[in-house]
Amino acid sequence: MDLIEVSGLTKRYGGIVALSEAQFSAWAGEVHALVGENGAGKSTFIQILSGAVHPDEGKLQLEGQPYSPINPDAAQALGVAAVFQELSLIPDLAVEQNIWFRREPRTALLTVDGKALRRKTLELFDKYRFPPLDPARELRRLTLAERQLVEIAKGLAKDPRILILDEATSALPAKEAEWLLALTRQIAAEGRLVIFISHRMGEVRAIADRLTIFRNGSTVASHVATAVSDDEIVTQMIGRPLVRLYPERKATATERIALKVDDLRSGSRLTGASFELREGEVLGVGGLQGHGQRELFQSLFGASRATGSIELWGKPTQIANPRHALIGRDGIALVPEDRPGQGLLLTKSVRENLTLSVIRRFTDKGFLSRGREAALVKEMVDFLRIKAGTPEQLAGTLSGGNQQKVIFGKMLLTEARVLLLYDPTRGVDVGTKGEIFQLMRDLAARGYAILFYSSDLPELVHVPDRVLVLRSGRVAATLGAGRVSEEAILRAAVLDEAA
Amino acid sequence: MSVSVAERPAETEPARHLAWRGWLLDRAPFLVACLMLLVVVAIYGALQKGVFTLDEINLDTAAAMTLILAATGQTIVLIRGGIDLSIGGVISLGTVIAATQFSDDPLTVVMWSALILAIGFAVGALNGLLISALKLQPFLVTLASWSILNGIAMLILPTDGGGVPGWWIGFSYNQILGLASPVWMLIGLIIFWYWFRATRLGITIQATGSNEKSAFLSGVSIARINVVTYGLSGLFAAAAALYLTTQTGAGSPTIGKDYILPSVAAAVIGGVSLFGGRGHLLGTVIGALILTLIGNLVFVLRVSSYWQPVMSGVILLVAVLASSLAEKTARGQEQ
Ligand SMILES: Nc1ncnc2c1ncn2[C@@H]1O[C@H](COP(=O)(O)OP(=O)(O)OP(=O)(O)O)[C@@H](O)[C@H]1O
Ligand SMILES: [Mg+2]
Repeated sequence: MDLIEVSGLTKRYGGIVALSEAQFSAWAGEVHALVGENGAGKSTFIQILSGAVHPDEGKLQLEGQPYSPINPDAAQALGVAAVFQELSLIPDLAVEQNIWFRREPRTALLTVDGKALRRKTLELFDKYRFPPLDPARELRRLTLAERQLVEIAKGLAKDPRILILDEATSALPAKEAEWLLALTRQIAAEGRLVIFISHRMGEVRAIADRLTIFRNGSTVASHVATAVSDDEIVTQMIGRPLVRLYPERKATATERIALKVDDLRSGSRLTGASFELREGEVLGVGGLQGHGQRELFQSLFGASRATGSIELWGKPTQIANPRHALIGRDGIALVPEDRPGQGLLLTKSVRENLTLSVIRRFTDKGFLSRGREAALVKEMVDFLRIKAGTPEQLAGTLSGGNQQKVIFGKMLLTEARVLLLYDPTRGVDVGTKGEIFQLMRDLAARGYAILFYSSDLPELVHVPDRVLVLRSGRVAATLGAGRVSEEAILRAAVLDEAA
Repeated sequence: MSVSVAERPAETEPARHLAWRGWLLDRAPFLVACLMLLVVVAIYGALQKGVFTLDEINLDTAAAMTLILAATGQTIVLIRGGIDLSIGGVISLGTVIAATQFSDDPLTVVMWSALILAIGFAVGALNGLLISALKLQPFLVTLASWSILNGIAMLILPTDGGGVPGWWIGFSYNQILGLASPVWMLIGLIIFWYWFRATRLGITIQATGSNEKSAFLSGVSIARINVVTYGLSGLFAAAAALYLTTQTGAGSPTIGKDYILPSVAAAVIGGVSLFGGRGHLLGTVIGALILTLIGNLVFVLRVSSYWQPVMSGVILLVAVLASSLAEKTARGQEQ
């Protein structure tokens, strides 16, 4: 019998239809993947399942009983727990407090029992073989990947019958992602249901028993994973066949050096990186997570303090803060890792997010030209296919992948020609991924210089011209054309061999 | 990609930032507040004889207690990420009710005191309800209720006056082990705080101030938290009103406004974040003591009393500077 069965599920936000008569059914003991384009309604669906959002219409059944949780507590009481895409963590609480939030063990005085809390946390980490995490650390000091692990722990701590993972792997480095995939199988083997949302076909392939495809808020199809090909899935997801994911790689790099970095150091992780990025080049950055990639991007953008020398288009440059970095065509623009933290103002509209940092481009003798602004915004929204009701929709209400597109558009509008792309396709659907890669190559052909980090190895292999592999905060190897492969990157990342 | 047993990924992270730096940075605003208190006390002690005696501690605590009580409620609201201006109204109303209703009979006093506390809580709870139900700004809602309560207080007692029994006025002179009752109250308050912040309720209030959306997704009923938070603030404001009548011996329909901004200032000086999620009552108490001692300082310096707000402002600026510096450095270290 189906553990969960949903039909006719509809949810509207004003004029935007997030779900329209969606159907879904899954049984205990399976990993059920939920796939679809950005804005297809996946997150809305799981928010309804977990009681955070109420549907307008629809019939939900849990084990044959009507199921309409009025809040996340109610869903949890019935054994449904979600690992949310936007994370549900409290920045000012410690890791362990977050994991057991509102379910903390208590003393006779009704205060939280710190010792028991620690013990339960360590037991949980042990039981599921968690990657190393310090239970006492305050959450706001953690990296995005570590936060994602905490969110996963929080979901597991509820010991749910239905565990929902909404793009839980997208922020994890390769090893941790693999660990999570294996864990997912284990949980399903215990007779529980895992609903798994991901834009990475490889992951879906590796673990899903069945999969359901959403498009524009409706269910397109449900398949047994082994009975359907990747192409069929993608075609049903985006409504047309995907011609190719990775673009053709024509070398467009010139001799001119756009960015020259010498002995860049920041914090304890970036310990002296040196490299050159040329005009028209896409330069990949790889390596195990935590070996200075983030610090490299942050310090090049002036968002964290660093020493060392940076030359931009041949001129020595001091980048003291992000505003410094952004100036004009000779500037540097960044697609950051932390969307709500650095990239987006969630309570501002799509239009404002796109144009706030480049307001100068729309002013005419000090006056704002609304017309010019509207035209550019429309161009960007169409170009990136940002799925928003109107440009006035608040950025915080966009789907995760569409938020990422807005950040991309914001960066493009700055006109800076040195682009720092830190995992720009995180949470982006396959169709758009292909477009973003094509866009990167097109920009390179127009003389842009692009530094590109990705947590997805195949992207590093197929998109950039060369790949820098960072190890312990330095460039351990530079893999040129023809020498880039997943294996070569991994080897350079872990082995002490000069390349 | 092939998947077998779940294996624990090996540690790949290089050395972490030094933990104590983060610890120190987090407490920088509080430490700066302590430093400022020391400076104020040192100046005061240099100009005035007998500052470092138990008597002086008793007196100063007695003088600061109204503000400390009001600021305790304010601290809870600020940690929730809100603000409560209505405490001005609750304090005024509390004093006029006490000054018109208290009689020599202790039972009457106890009953009316309980009623005043209940009114305080109810007003706050109503604030919280309005804020969540109508999704209104706390600033506006509590501003409105301040105005309404102020009007009611005026209707009950148009000018300063009324009275309370003599034994009630003597409250702060009672001593146990050489410490006056306000000092014992303060000790009790701090013990309460250490308990409260470790309860689920205390943690939930802090969490909601830290990130409301996350709290909601974790199952917190935001409306319920608002009712409790503002209710507690009203309760502490009512307690401040009762205590205030032991100091003034009378009611005043306008006196509450003198505590609105200072209650916020005391908390901010003590390192409570206006953005919610962070703060500690110890800091607020220090802030309130600083603000009170500045009054003494102006007196012993024999300068115009108008210097008092000037000095308070400067101290507030220093405190705000300290927190924003700490915040920025912490940001730089994050991730
Ligand atoms: N609070 C809201 N207000 C307005 N529109 C919303 C709100 N929440 C979601 N939407 C809209 O509903 C649609 C579906 O969003 P949802 O987050 O479910 O997509 P998704 O499938 O999870 O996409 P992604 O893969 O990008 O995460 C989007 O168009 C989004 O803009
Ligand atoms: Mg989503």
